Amino acid sequence: MSRHFSLVSNTIIVLQVFMLIFGVFDLSALPEWILFGGKFHPLLLHLPVTMILLLIPLAFMANRDSQSQVLQSIFKYTLLYTTLFATLAAIGGLLLASSGDYAQDTLTVHKWLGISLALLTHLLLYAREWIIAKKTTGQLALLSSAVIMIAGSHFGGSLTHGEDFLAWGKEEELATSFPVLTDSTTVFDGAIQPVVAAKCATCHNNKKMKGGLDMSSFAAWQKGGKTGASWVSGSPDSSLLMARILLAMDDKKHMPPSGKAQLTANEILLFREWIRLGADNQLAFHALQDTDTLKQLIVQVASTGTPAKQAKQYNFSGASQSTIDGLNTPFRRILPLAYNSPALGVKFFLKEKFTPDMLDACSAIKEQVVEVNLSNMPADDKLLNTMGMFKNLEKLNLNGTSITGKTLGTLADCKHLEQLSLAGTAVDMNALQPLTAISSLKKVFLWNTKITDQDIVALQKQYPQISWDLGYVPDKNELLKLTPPYPANRDKRILEPGEPVTLKHPLPGVKIRYTLDGSNPDTTNGKVFEGPIPAKGLTRILSVATASGWISSNISDQTFFMKGIKVDSVSLLNPPDPKYRKFGSNALIDEIKGEAGNFGMNWLGFKDQTFKAAFHLNGTKAITQVLLSLADNTGSYIFPPTQIVVKAGNDRNQLKVIGKLSPEMPKSDRSNAVIPYLVDIIPGNYRYFEIEAVNIQKLPSWHRGKGEKGWVFVDEVFFY
Amino acid sequence: MENQEKQFRLNITRKHFLTKAGLGIGSAALGSMLFKDQLFGSDVQSSMPLGLAQFAPKAKRIIYLFQNGAPSQLETFDHKPLLNKMHGEELPASIRMGQRLTGMTANQEKFPLVGSSFGFAQHGQSGAWISELFPNMASIADDLCIIKTMNTEAINHDPALTFFQTGAQQGNRPSMGAWMSYGLGSENSNLPSFCVLLSRGRGNGQGVYSKLWTNGFLDSLHQGVVFSSGEDPVLYLNNPEGHDRQSRRDMLDQLSKFNAEAFENVGDPEINARIQQYEMSYRMQSAVPELTDLSKESDNTIKMYGPDCLVPGTYAANCLLARKLSESGVRFVQLYHQGWDTHGNLANDMRMQAEDVDRASAGLIKDLKQRGLLDETLVIWGGEFGRTNYCQGKIDPVNYGRDHHPKCFSIWMAGGGVKPGMVYGETDEFGYNIVKDPVSVHDFHATVLHLMGINHEQLTYRHLGRRYRLTDIAGQVVNSIIA
Repeated sequence: MSRHFSLVSNTIIVLQVFMLIFGVFDLSALPEWILFGGKFHPLLLHLPVTMILLLIPLAFMANRDSQSQVLQSIFKYTLLYTTLFATLAAIGGLLLASSGDYAQDTLTVHKWLGISLALLTHLLLYAREWIIAKKTTGQLALLSSAVIMIAGSHFGGSLTHGEDFLAWGKEEELATSFPVLTDSTTVFDGAIQPVVAAKCATCHNNKKMKGGLDMSSFAAWQKGGKTGASWVSGSPDSSLLMARILLAMDDKKHMPPSGKAQLTANEILLFREWIRLGADNQLAFHALQDTDTLKQLIVQVASTGTPAKQAKQYNFSGASQSTIDGLNTPFRRILPLAYNSPALGVKFFLKEKFTPDMLDACSAIKEQVVEVNLSNMPADDKLLNTMGMFKNLEKLNLNGTSITGKTLGTLADCKHLEQLSLAGTAVDMNALQPLTAISSLKKVFLWNTKITDQDIVALQKQYPQISWDLGYVPDKNELLKLTPPYPANRDKRILEPGEPVTLKHPLPGVKIRYTLDGSNPDTTNGKVFEGPIPAKGLTRILSVATASGWISSNISDQTFFMKGIKVDSVSLLNPPDPKYRKFGSNALIDEIKGEAGNFGMNWLGFKDQTFKAAFHLNGTKAITQVLLSLADNTGSYIFPPTQIVVKAGNDRNQLKVIGKLSPEMPKSDRSNAVIPYLVDIIPGNYRYFEIEAVNIQKLPSWHRGKGEKGWVFVDEVFFY
Repeated sequence: MENQEKQFRLNITRKHFLTKAGLGIGSAALGSMLFKDQLFGSDVQSSMPLGLAQFAPKAKRIIYLFQNGAPSQLETFDHKPLLNKMHGEELPASIRMGQRLTGMTANQEKFPLVGSSFGFAQHGQSGAWISELFPNMASIADDLCIIKTMNTEAINHDPALTFFQTGAQQGNRPSMGAWMSYGLGSENSNLPSFCVLLSRGRGNGQGVYSKLWTNGFLDSLHQGVVFSSGEDPVLYLNNPEGHDRQSRRDMLDQLSKFNAEAFENVGDPEINARIQQYEMSYRMQSAVPELTDLSKESDNTIKMYGPDCLVPGTYAANCLLARKLSESGVRFVQLYHQGWDTHGNLANDMRMQAEDVDRASAGLIKDLKQRGLLDETLVIWGGEFGRTNYCQGKIDPVNYGRDHHPKCFSIWMAGGGVKPGMVYGETDEFGYNIVKDPVSVHDFHATVLHLMGINHEQLTYRHLGRRYRLTDIAGQVVNSIIA
């Protein structure tokens, strides 16, 4: 026997003595540097595992060729080192187990299997020649050690990877899931336990008791761990649980450890409040007041962790994504009701693209479809015949379709139909009869159909299990006010000479009455608008809309301007206020009329200086009138000008005053009016004009800004 | 492929979110055959949003009737008789507690309490107090869930509006509608999934800006599309003279080839967004005329929304259009109605504003309900903050005004999985502070997302090195109002 062999085999004997001692006594008292050796257990254990498996073919070969010294020798030394490593692995395992972090039951089995394996391989080492000699029994002996090794490995694996590591079909649950809170739910079961299960018990359970703590049940958790009890009832601040949770993240004693899912702020408060109230596992949820912090926390935590109410469960399986993709077009949309739900909704878009076979094509997903929305599609009675294929249909929307209801009976095949929308269709009482046979039906919507309110009363009485909804029925005594008429072309305020004005009202059957003389139109005898009104120069149309069953509208006051003689250029002699000069001087002659109230747009506003502008015409036509369109809105300090002065001439530097106007000042508030000021001038073929409109320098005493300057707003100047 | 690198750099789209969210939902779901293509698909279409709620949604669509300018809670839903009793008396310091005021009233010497000049009555089985200004809303009290304890951090219109719409006061974050479009996608690819409708009342107005419906850092596909308030809600939808539909199609096909080539070279996801927008516009040529055709609306519809609904650009017309858009699968329809900023002239302005919105708002709820759509459509009505219980300026026997008040205000929600006929939260007798069940703007967002089937903590987008949420780092779902 070589020196090498005897040295190693003697070492093994010494080590195995230690192994047996370690196996029986509590090792946690050993110095830390020795315990540190335990960390090598996961490394060492793989050596005997492989080597034992290797020994089987080696023994087989050595047996076949018993003359070969080389094979004999390889087998001998492999077995020697297998024994050494098995022993070292077992010692390492015993040291590691002393930390107490593991489930005791599984650990005990694993421990003795490991020790047995070391002892068995040691035994085989001495019986190695017998193994090779005895073909069958030798192999059996080796196989038995392999079996012990595999069993030991399995329990070891269970310790580190968890009990269910090798089990089939178990999906990992990552999110905290809370049970539905009922009156009998305890606070512990309803809120504490789910959080613990998700965030603590993956390490602190009856298999893998980190720190000796098992949190998998209340009874086990109550016992506490190595460091002591988890809580002091009624005193969260002295409880170990709270202390560990509240330690800084980088503290190695912080729980849950960094890298693992952390508790939310509310979950921490939840533990705290529960301990404060005595950490009682019998405390019922319903026993808490609504104002109780704990109750409020539970309500919040149990809903923000994951939704308390899950999607309705369906017992059919989902359609394949390729089937759904194949059916999805911009005009037929198929969507799952929620992420991961097998139930589908089908909705159709664009009338002009709809054909009946678009519904037939959904037979590929007929089992999964629970909602069909055909609203406003040109779907007819025939189409309903195919609806029966959707056995799981719950909600059907046929609003605004062309159905008459004759074929509603075919829906009897839809045994899960709960809601049916028939608003805006031609269905009548006879059509509804077959629906009453559908026992699952809960709601039927019948607005804007042939069904009357008496019908509804009858239906509700006869079939109270269904809610028959007639929707909005106008109150006959309630009269509503019509909207005022408006010009057909709202933006066009400046007309060609002779261009007519058309008045409109959106509601069919409304009569428009109007005047052209500035008086209010009479709502019963006023002139009725029958065709376009020819505009002559400055035209002011006052109109009102009337109809039976409605209150007459407010009066619409519309002023139209006639295009004047073309202006070649315009320049402002006084600058407008910087806020109100968006389109500059051109706004005055651009033939776009500023709207009352919208002063940021086409208007020019003047306050610190008067409105003063110079106009250049070609002088070929005689001018007799100048028209200024100004705004009036006293609430915003916009007043008529105190004076309008028109100067003109053919020499730019020698203009003469040819017309003046002093408008009347308002005596009380006027709002948002556009007022035209027509100035008669001494007629002539003038080429240069200078027009000034003086803004009011002191507002009148009745106005809230009395004494201050007023504004003048100008848009559009016309020359006739 | 070199393009993969570009995609990796630039194309952080919704797939990114789903991948991340999927981890949270459960790794099993990730591997699921069902959504394989949707999670990992690579063609142009698949980067379009897909429309999946994370869990069973209560609501599929939202219509948000934003009352821009902040309607007073004290003249709408928060009945405070004490203010009428103490009319003209000074606001006690113990109630104000030195809280921040705006520059408009901070220097006022006195803070005289002012009671509502409108009567209140209880309505419906819930016994909700509703002001006489809103008889139609009162008639549907049992469909409403009134929250009296909304509160916000902002005290001026622009930051408050921006906060309500984007979850942050500064702007540049995606708007609620954009988040919805990103998270849930479009139901109807022939229309934008986020539409914006504007109207203007006769009261004191405050502006609205496009930053309120921005896509922020999300793909520009998710931007709100503003409909014009004129007779043609979508401009330039008709083919130009001399071009028929086929020639449009041919032009778009060629254009999209060029764009696809550009995408290959540059890898900018904006190019894909552009291709999809062209395609959608093409289909909108058919989809929009169906929506804007009011000729088929029955007389009852007109009475329900009020005759204004036939006048384009009014609040009532927008409510009707909102119903039609929503019915056609638009995820988020955002209305803004301006004119609620009643610093002065409150009584008159509120009356005019209420006339504009009362009938149409109630009509919208009734209309959705009678079509069987209310349970899947969430309707929200409210402004950006409340108004003070004291008078701005001097109390006039017939007139008064109220300044901005962020500490408490009232909004309502209806349909879409919200408890009907409920009043949530309590304010103190002075209508100044919240006594019970406060709801912050973040809580509001969390709740709305929850109703749409989205966990607000999981709807995130990575931008500038961190993940962003609509609820920022706050928000609790208000479970008590969920049916």
